Amino acid sequence: MLKARQPLGIVFFPAYDWAISPTHPERQERLLYTQDQLREEGVFDIGGITELKPDLATAEDVLRAHFCFPDVASVTTTSHLISAGGAIRAARTVLEKEAKRAFALVRPPGHHAMKVVHGARGFCNINIEAVMIEWLRDHYGPLRVAIVDTDCHHGDGTQDVYWNDPDTLFISLHQDGRTLYPGTGFPLELGGPKALGATVNIPLPPGTSDEGFLFAMREVVMPLIEDFKPDLIINSAGQDNHFSDPITDMAFSAQGYAQLTELLGADIAVLEGGYAIQGALPYVNLGLVLSMAGLDYSHVREPGFDAAAVRQSAQVTEYIEDVCRDILKEVRHPRGPGKGDVVAGWFTRRKTLYYDTDAITEYQTEAVRLCDHCRGVVKYETESTRNPLCLGVEAPVGACPACVEEAYRIYEAGQIKGEYRHLQLIDRVGKITSTYTG
Amino acid sequence: MLCGIDVGGTHTDAVLIGPHGVVACAKLPTNHDDLLASIREALASIVAVAGPTAISRLTLSTTLTTNAIIEGTADPVGVLVSGGPGIDPEAYRMGGHYHVLDGAIDHRGRQTGAIDLAAARPVIDAWAAAGVRAFAAVTKFSTRCPDQELALKALLADRSDCVSLGHEFSGRLGFGRRIATACLNSAVWRVYNRFCDAVEQSVAELGMTAALNVLKADGGTMPLSVSRTLPVQSILSGPAASVMGIIAVCDIAEDSIILDIGGTTTDIAVFAAGAPLIENEGIAIAGRSTLVRALRTRSIGVGGDSAISVSRQAVEVGPRRLGPPMALGGPVPTLVDALNIQNVIAVGDPRASYQGILAVAAANGFEPEEVAEAAILNAVNQIRSEVAAFVREINDRPVYTIFELLEGRQVRPTRVYVMGGPALALSALLQDAFSEEVVVPESFAVANAIGAALARPTFSVELFADTASGRLTIPSLGITRQVADNYSPAAAEGEAATCLRDYLASIGAEVEDAPIETVELSSFPMVEGQCLVGHNIRVACQVRPGVSAAYKQAVSKSC
Ligand SMILES: [Zn+2]
Ligand SMILES: [Zn+2]
Ligand SMILES: [Zn+2]
Repeated sequence: MLKARQPLGIVFFPAYDWAISPTHPERQERLLYTQDQLREEGVFDIGGITELKPDLATAEDVLRAHFCFPDVASVTTTSHLISAGGAIRAARTVLEKEAKRAFALVRPPGHHAMKVVHGARGFCNINIEAVMIEWLRDHYGPLRVAIVDTDCHHGDGTQDVYWNDPDTLFISLHQDGRTLYPGTGFPLELGGPKALGATVNIPLPPGTSDEGFLFAMREVVMPLIEDFKPDLIINSAGQDNHFSDPITDMAFSAQGYAQLTELLGADIAVLEGGYAIQGALPYVNLGLVLSMAGLDYSHVREPGFDAAAVRQSAQVTEYIEDVCRDILKEVRHPRGPGKGDVVAGWFTRRKTLYYDTDAITEYQTEAVRLCDHCRGVVKYETESTRNPLCLGVEAPVGACPACVEEAYRIYEAGQIKGEYRHLQLIDRVGKITSTYTG
Repeated sequence: MLCGIDVGGTHTDAVLIGPHGVVACAKLPTNHDDLLASIREALASIVAVAGPTAISRLTLSTTLTTNAIIEGTADPVGVLVSGGPGIDPEAYRMGGHYHVLDGAIDHRGRQTGAIDLAAARPVIDAWAAAGVRAFAAVTKFSTRCPDQELALKALLADRSDCVSLGHEFSGRLGFGRRIATACLNSAVWRVYNRFCDAVEQSVAELGMTAALNVLKADGGTMPLSVSRTLPVQSILSGPAASVMGIIAVCDIAEDSIILDIGGTTTDIAVFAAGAPLIENEGIAIAGRSTLVRALRTRSIGVGGDSAISVSRQAVEVGPRRLGPPMALGGPVPTLVDALNIQNVIAVGDPRASYQGILAVAAANGFEPEEVAEAAILNAVNQIRSEVAAFVREINDRPVYTIFELLEGRQVRPTRVYVMGGPALALSALLQDAFSEEVVVPESFAVANAIGAALARPTFSVELFADTASGRLTIPSLGITRQVADNYSPAAAEGEAATCLRDYLASIGAEVEDAPIETVELSSFPMVEGQCLVGHNIRVACQVRPGVSAAYKQAVSKSC
């Protein structure tokens, strides 16, 4: 009988009764064949592999990670709360040592959901990894976390959530933003002034195959993780880099994904995208499961797979080598915090965001206080085509007393001034979240 | 009248039940070397009371196939498998005649790699030369498309006594389980069929005309004639007999726990709203998971004969049985000995119990009464905590829809039914340990045989329709047909139920009160590009295990 070398918990939640629309790429069918494959392979009969039921995330869990306007209920459905709850269940499994590793095979995904949420972007409403990580930090204390986003799309939401957090290393590998949604994720996006180098972007050219991904993993991702010394490694395991994915242009294989997974050795993987639901997902997910459990995955391959037919060109190889070298240099010796202005001791940047799934446009000003004692209060003034001007203030994990006080002062002043419609305060020191509607 | 015979590890029980209750019963020691002799003896004693023609239906529950598998006395089996992409089929190797062929089928039942029949021929020749006459052929996803297994069967046709195909046992997925199920079926095929021959002969010699059935692990029966080709379905039916016995003698309507406290183990079953829970995935035997449906039970090594171990820190019962209680001449003190010296029961020689417990107590500086009390408490606590863990696990089972997650019905037992040898002795102590009401049914001693006598036939089918590729399969009935692109989930549900009913009628099963229920019904839109190309429909129907309503009145006592 097979036995996992690394005990693995799997939260499988396909949300079979939920979809954006029947033919939307993010639909029920996405996990149907994966379920068939895992069942037929007998994955849940393998000693040391346990199937777990998801938790249901609460509004409080969401508010630890996001500013939701007008409120959590308006921007989430139950399926989002279960998906985030599935990620929490996976994390809980690892931290409580029920298993060595865990994989949340859940939908809908979350890595395009940013710190401020007005609606759905790129099929994502709330960032399930962020909700999970902040739940962990709330329950287990401060943790240094590395997130490696291997979805084909730039993990712009996760990047935004952790932009000012030096304790979260966010590394995104993705198809170059000049050729794919959401059009961001360039090497010079390196994090806010207090977290420079904790955001890393590795844009890869269309046509990148196994060699290119594994090269970037070995040459950039793994050394940076080694430098960072995280307590936990999390994989935002999007599977749309697959050569057969209908909405992307990459050439990754199930074997490549399994090898990447083995190399990374993530404690927790959370499913993100992946829309080649018949030809890729069953095999990629099986490869991931076997790889995470420390089992032989050498027989996992797509029917009719021909490595030569999808192999990247020499030109692509050369380009990736150049990009990786430059990125490592930039990350280790960042030149400065990029776009933004310092105004009265606050580093401020303005963003315009488009929520493609819900057709909302948001105008936002993010400001972080340049404090000498902590990461500094962060403040968001935001308005969108759905909501009038709103305010979000956060005293982050480890905020100094002055910053905590400042957070409350801004929140209360905002209420008195009356120029904001909805206000939300996150006090991670006092473990309090508060909302107010003016 | 209905007759039930339960050939257990220790005793063989037989009962005859008429319209007004138990007419005759017999309890004799099981002859392990000759199970048939035990059956014949039990039958003879029933026939002596009732006459041979009064018995209209005889149902057997026997450990024959279970023993053959566990003791390794079954036949060698030539196993041909093809896996395609995924886990290496070598991981599921069974025995010394196991060969992996090229060939692949995907999750939708499309053949993505041809089965390599040319490579199979020399392998079969070699096995035949080695005297192998029983075979199994199993391919991955054969429940979605049995063609490759059928091709292998054709190849084996004139070389074999028995060929088991993976898709014949269940429509559920599980490649490794399918391999184990088909292989074990062929392994016990010969010993089981010889047994059936002998049973039929004995029945004829006694002048009986009864319809013959065997009990399955899911608590249902199947005709003996059908079981000849599916002998693996008779494995591990022991706990099923006791659960069905409880259903027969008690009116269970609410969520309940069933405890069957035997000599070596305590078997635990859970009822939801009066119906036993079924382990749909299938039961495990000799360390191999199978696709054989079973009642969902759990067993712990705490029984009357479980050895007591004493240290300065703790007194523990089980999990091992090292022989009978000392009161009956055994080598080490057991739970029965502890109950004996506490005057809860009176078995054999109580002085032997006392001396035995005194010895282990004195060695650790305890009084014998202290050790006996601690042992009983430990046994009761083990049972209680195992029950709690089992219920928790049932309530924590994975769900796949938002509806199920939010509405998921939780099992909250309000009663504990206790049966088996030490049942009465332990009932007061169990009542102290459980907050639920503890009930000991009156006829607990032969409830197993009553369960076998009254169990109804069961069967389940899984239907899989793919309207995009126009194919419908019901693997366990060997049905594959074309299906129109407007085929609906409702039509699928109807077809599955009809096929199940027709099958039961065709094997002569009495279907009077065998209600067919749908346990799974789902339909997924299938999209290619931006277009809806069809639906992927899955239906599972079953006859829920239960007891004959007409006779239940007769044996049911208020309890
Ligand atoms: Zn993506
Ligand atoms: Zn990414
Ligand atoms: Zn500060």
